[in-house]
Amino acid sequence: MIICPNCSHENPDGASYCDSCYTPLPVVTISTCPNCDSPVQSDASFCGNCGFNLKSASEHEKSMTEETDNTSSPEEVPLPAESPISTPEASPPDLSDDDLALVQELIEPHPLTQLQQIGAFLIHVQTNINLELPNNLQVIHIGKPNNMIPPDIDVSGFPDSDIVSRVHADIRFEGNAYYFEDSGSSNGTYINNSVLAAGNRHKLRSGDRISLGKGDRVSFVFQMSS
Amino acid sequence: MSVNLSCDFSDRHLDSSVSTSQRQLAITISVDGSISVSNTPLNLCLVLDHSGSMGGQPLDTVKKAARDLIDQMSYKDYISIVGFDHRAKVVVENQTLINPESVKEKILYLKAGGGTNIDEGIKLALKELSKSMKSTISQALILTDGENEHGNNDLCLQFAQLAAAEYGITLHTLGFGDYWNQDILEKIADAGGGTMAYIESPDQASAEFQKILRRVQSVGLINAHLILKLAPNVRLAELKPIAQVTPETIELEPEKNLNTYIVRLGDLMLGNDRTIMLNLYINHNPDQIVAASTANTIHAVTAQIRYDDPQSKLEGLLSPEVTADLTLIKDFQPQINPQVQSSILALAKYRQTQLAETKLKQGDRTGAVTMLQSAAKTALQMGDQQAATVLQANATTLQSGTDLSEAERKQTRMVSKTILQIPTNQISTNQIPTE
Ligand SMILES: [Zn+2]
Ligand SMILES: [Zn+2]
Repeated sequence: MIICPNCSHENPDGASYCDSCYTPLPVVTISTCPNCDSPVQSDASFCGNCGFNLKSASEHEKSMTEETDNTSSPEEVPLPAESPISTPEASPPDLSDDDLALVQELIEPHPLTQLQQIGAFLIHVQTNINLELPNNLQVIHIGKPNNMIPPDIDVSGFPDSDIVSRVHADIRFEGNAYYFEDSGSSNGTYINNSVLAAGNRHKLRSGDRISLGKGDRVSFVFQMSS
Repeated sequence: MSVNLSCDFSDRHLDSSVSTSQRQLAITISVDGSISVSNTPLNLCLVLDHSGSMGGQPLDTVKKAARDLIDQMSYKDYISIVGFDHRAKVVVENQTLINPESVKEKILYLKAGGGTNIDEGIKLALKELSKSMKSTISQALILTDGENEHGNNDLCLQFAQLAAAEYGITLHTLGFGDYWNQDILEKIADAGGGTMAYIESPDQASAEFQKILRRVQSVGLINAHLILKLAPNVRLAELKPIAQVTPETIELEPEKNLNTYIVRLGDLMLGNDRTIMLNLYINHNPDQIVAASTANTIHAVTAQIRYDDPQSKLEGLLSPEVTADLTLIKDFQPQINPQVQSSILALAKYRQTQLAETKLKQGDRTGAVTMLQSAAKTALQMGDQQAATVLQANATTLQSGTDLSEAERKQTRMVSKTILQIPTNQISTNQIPTE
C-alpha cells in the first residue's frame, strides 16, 4: 500500500500515480535496516524492529558526500541556491579512515547518551524502543506522514500502526509539564487504560501508559528523566 | 463516415522485476469524414428559464440569443421551445423550421416571473424532442439562472440519464449569471452526454449558444459506446478508473459484463477527438522473461466502438478492434509518453480541484488551500496558464480568510473541467509564487 502525500488516498502496490488525485507517488522499495538488517520501506523514518533512525542516517550520509565533493574541487564556484542543481554523475568519493570512523559514529545509535540530553521520552511497549521528545517544540505532533500536519513523532514504522491516525495526538509542553491531547483520531487514545475524551488533556506523569487506538496494540510508557 | 481508435500507454514497457505495475491507457476516438457530408437534420429543444430573476436585460439577451440561434439553423432542422418558471410550458411545439420568423416571434412572448423548476422543463423537452427522433440528431439546450428551488435535482439527473441511455438525446446546460448550481448543471450535462457552459454576463449568451450549436452541427455519429476487454491479469483501478479527458473532463461509469466493460460515449463529433483514459493495474510474475520472445508481450486491453449512423440510418455498427500491448523488459527505464502525460495532468487538475471543493465543504480551509495550490501547479505543468491563474488566485483568497464568491466558484469548475485556451504545449517547471 502506498499513501498519497497529497490527498492521503491509500493506493495499491505498484501505483505510480495516485488513483484519486493523480499526484506522482514516491517510489517505495524495500531495503534493509543498516543497523539490524530487517526489511524496511524506503520512505520509513525509522526501523520498526530496532528503532534505528533511517532518515538521519541517510541525511548524514548525504551531507558527508556533499562535503567530500566540495573539498575535492575547492576551486569550483558554488552555485547560487535558487538555480536548479544538476548533480554530475560522480562516483562515490573515497572516504579516509577518519571519515569512515565519523560515519560509523553518526549511524551508531546511542540510546544512553540521548537519554541524558533530553527531558522526557516515550518507551514503545511492544518493541522496547525509546523515543526522545524533541525538547525544542512546544507542541509535538504524533502520527504518521501526511500532507497536513507532519508528525514530529512518526509511529508508522511500528507494528499495528495501521490503527493509528495520521494526525493522532499532540504532546504539549507548558509550564514545565507535559500534557497529552487526542487531536481527533479515528480510533481514540487511552491513558492508563481509560479513554481520553476528545478535547480533554491529560497531565503526563512518569509511568503513564498511553495507547494509540483500541486494544493496547501501539502503547507507550512516558518517562521524565529528572 | 468511419471511426478511428488509437491506444497509447503512459509507458508501454513493464519492469519485469516487479509483480504489479500501474499504467494509464489513453484511447483517442476520432471520426473520419467531412462536415459537409453530414446533412442529418437536427432536432433541437431550447429549454429557457424565465423566472422572475431573469427580468429585464437578462431575459432580453437570452431571447435575442435564441433568435440568433434560429437564424443559424437549416430549414430542414426541427425546433421546439420550452419555457419554465416554477411550472413549464411548451412555447413552440416541435416543428421543422420552414417558417423561422413565426418561431422567432413566439420567443418574444416569454415574460419573466415565478420561481425555478428545471425538471419540469426537462420533462417537457424530452416529450417535444421525442416527436421527431427518427434519423435526427436530438439535443436539448437547458438555460437557467438559479437554484432548482421548485424542482427536484434527483429527478433532473434521472431524466438526463434516461434521455441519454434510452433515447439517445443529448442534454447541454448553460448557467446564466452567478446563482445557478454548478454541481447539478455539471451532473445533468455529464449524464446527458453534453457540455456545460457558463454565461458570466448577459452579452455572452449569444456566443455560448452558437458554440453549442456548432458542436451539435459537427455531430457525425450518435449513441456511441466504447467496448473494452481486459486480459485476465489486467484490472481496472478500484477508484473511478475511467474518465474522459478531452474535450472536457468527465468521470465515466462503465457497465461490467464478465471481463467486458461498456462505457457510454454518446455523440461523436467530426474534427473534435475524444480521449478516454483508463487507470489499470497489471500483474505478472517477476522475472518471467523469455529471451527474444513474443511471450514478453501482454495484450492488455482490446477496444472497439459501437455506434449509430443517423445519415445512413444504420444502427449498432462496429469499428475495427484495436489491441493495446505492453512489453515486459529487464533493466526497465521509465519512458513516459508525453501525450498520455498531458491526459494524466488534465485529470489530475480536475481531481485536485474537486478534492479542494470537498475539503472546503467539510470546513477544512487549510486543506482546500493546499489542494488548490497543487491543482494550480498541475495546470501550470500542462501549460494551462488561465487555469493556473484562477486556481492560485482562489487559493490566495481562501488563505486570506475570505470566502470564494459565486462567480469564482463557477470559474473554478469551468477551468478544472476544460482548457479554455490552447495550451502552450510546453511542460513548464516554473513554480507559482505563494504568499
Ligand atoms: Zn492523492
Ligand atoms: Zn533495524
